[in-house]
Amino acid sequence: MMYHFGRGRSRWVPYLLLLPGIFFYVLIALGPSMATAVYSFTDATGLKGAPIHWIGLDNYKEFLFMGQASKDNFAALERTLVFCFFVTTIQFGLGLLVAVIINQKLKGRNIFRTLYFMPVILGAVIQGLIWSLFLFPLGGPMARVLEFFGTRSEFLGGQPSEAFAWVIAIQIWANMGTTMIIFLSGLQTIPTELYEAARIDGANSWQVFKNVTWPLLTPSVNTNLTLNIIGSLQAWQLFLVLLGYRNGTQVLGYLIYATGFGQTSGSVTSSFRQGYAAAASIILFLLVLVIGMAVQNILRRREVRIMG
Amino acid sequence: MFRKTYLIMAVLVALSMIFAACTSTDTGSESTEGQPAEAENVTLRVLVHQNPPMVAFMESFNQSFHEKYPNITVDMSIVNANDLSTVTQTRLTANDVDVVDMFGFANAAQPYMKQVDAPNWQQLIDAGLLMDLTGQPFIQNYDSAAIQDAGTYNGKVYEINLGRVSYSGIYYNKDMFTANNVTVPTTWSELVAACETFKAAGIPCMTAGGKDGWPIFVGAYGLLGAIYPDQAALVEGLWSGTIRWNDETSLVMWERMQVYARDMMEDGASGIAGDAAPGRFASGAVAMFPGGTWYAPAIDAAEPAFEWGYIPFPGSDNPEDNQYLFGKYDQGWAIAANTPNGDAVLLYLTEFSDPANYQAFVDAVGFIPTQPTATLNTTIGTEVAPYLANFRVGYEQYWIAPKGAGQFANPWASYFMPFGTDDDPQTLADKVQADLQSGLDAVK
Repeated sequence: MMYHFGRGRSRWVPYLLLLPGIFFYVLIALGPSMATAVYSFTDATGLKGAPIHWIGLDNYKEFLFMGQASKDNFAALERTLVFCFFVTTIQFGLGLLVAVIINQKLKGRNIFRTLYFMPVILGAVIQGLIWSLFLFPLGGPMARVLEFFGTRSEFLGGQPSEAFAWVIAIQIWANMGTTMIIFLSGLQTIPTELYEAARIDGANSWQVFKNVTWPLLTPSVNTNLTLNIIGSLQAWQLFLVLLGYRNGTQVLGYLIYATGFGQTSGSVTSSFRQGYAAAASIILFLLVLVIGMAVQNILRRREVRIMG
Repeated sequence: MFRKTYLIMAVLVALSMIFAACTSTDTGSESTEGQPAEAENVTLRVLVHQNPPMVAFMESFNQSFHEKYPNITVDMSIVNANDLSTVTQTRLTANDVDVVDMFGFANAAQPYMKQVDAPNWQQLIDAGLLMDLTGQPFIQNYDSAAIQDAGTYNGKVYEINLGRVSYSGIYYNKDMFTANNVTVPTTWSELVAACETFKAAGIPCMTAGGKDGWPIFVGAYGLLGAIYPDQAALVEGLWSGTIRWNDETSLVMWERMQVYARDMMEDGASGIAGDAAPGRFASGAVAMFPGGTWYAPAIDAAEPAFEWGYIPFPGSDNPEDNQYLFGKYDQGWAIAANTPNGDAVLLYLTEFSDPANYQAFVDAVGFIPTQPTATLNTTIGTEVAPYLANFRVGYEQYWIAPKGAGQFANPWASYFMPFGTDDDPQTLADKVQADLQSGLDAVK
């Protein structure tokens, strides 16, 4: 048997090299996740020095079954799935389309790549500020456009369904660049000989895309779908920046933040309920886990079928 | 040989990274325990919320304080009011702040409220994160009633409250009223008529900082007050079921709130930031501005020559019901219990509480003072003076929702179109009551 690091004590070298990474993973990711699971069974406030009591499943019971508030939680859950569906499908489709277009030998394509990717490097606060100005209902650019057509809107401060639709659009705008870059890197790994062979065989553009590009993009498709689904299920920052706590617009990720940090009523005197927020986090985690694993399973089978 | 080198390198890398992660990076000059020594350089970390006149005053005060005590530098952080409780929580927990500006100290849970969570200030005290200020000499400078009502918990003082504010009034543009022959409204019908006159003249009636959410509905809290002048009794009635959001009296309130949201508020108000609304009113874009007394300095700063007045929201057709101003004890100073700069912090509050400095503060921010020696020198002070005998603590200071209540269990005008989805007062009233009842039933 081969031992790359030698025999005896030297065999511990790879484990020692892994140690810092494992240490930070436990410290930053696994540890807090486990702590969240434990906190979800307590009445923790998140305040240092505050007593913490074990309350069993009370937080889960309250979240899932207590009064109209639990129905509102299910509405937020449903909204999360709607948000995930639209963001994932549109962002995926647009990212693919843009990647295919700017993968062509076009003039100034590097400028377009930069432009499309630029929103990704802006933080959620900057993204929110840009769109708040763009959608300013008293003479903002979009208000002017609607005015031209003889109509008007309150945009982010108006009908919850419209405000929610705007957040979907902004989420896609903010993250489409990442989807595009992953597709672009996938497209650039496809050998040009395959395209040339397909053309020689008489394939048109659609047939080339369907039979050459699409199958060979499978790893990028899988990566993008997974990232888009998980990212959109966990989204909350844009909801905070653009809408705040508004009835009829919350998704689960934002609801968790608002509950944990006492912003549920928009009041500055709400309670801190991090135990309850932790229970909501675990429910969101289970949702992401179930959907993520199902999608992974389907995608893996598809990859095996196509790539062998 | 190479194997040994690999082994040594791996061990060194692992140890150095673990050591780096575990080592404190605190190299500051401040002592981390005990009091700072005399003349030792100290940086006081102060947290305040965004309120332009208050921030401007504090910057000036901090500068003067530093000049008087050169070894103490004030590092002031400013956050949006909606984020204040979150930042307070995280920074107090991280022991990263010395002085915090706090809201809503007055709204404790009432005995008839079942299974409610304590408000955040109470949680902070129970967690031992706020310093006990009992017996500090500067507390004597404030009204004992204010210290008792908005600073004391379990017999100990944890906050000095800096003033009361009213949020149930309306600013009005005097020149615009004169130019359009509109008299200052004293009843709901007169207010409706005034708005119709302004709208006919192409002038939007009212504006609010709707982008921040709460200014839209807080603007109509005067309407709530005109219908239910005893707001403590209202809250108890809602909890006990003797008052319902869909009973006959409440329905009048919802009908008027719809008129307020749909017909009185200008188009696009939902996009105006809270900080920008006073400037928009001062610019003459609208005739009226329902809002708190804390906006007055910002209005004056935007247009110093602008002539404005302030009246209680005339929510009732009986003028007698419209004589009340509803409001709250506004911000106060509290100190982190674990501050390493105890002496400097107490010096800071002592200096702030000096009657001359406090007078300058209330003059700058327009608060109704909580120091007995302070006077109402400002325009807003003059405007509210006739109503101070009728000043009442408002609904939001008493209200804590039962667990399980739905998200509509509040008397908010912003549920109505164009800001919300509702356009029928009866339907909305039923929905609000059902959301509240759901919580009341859940905690029975």
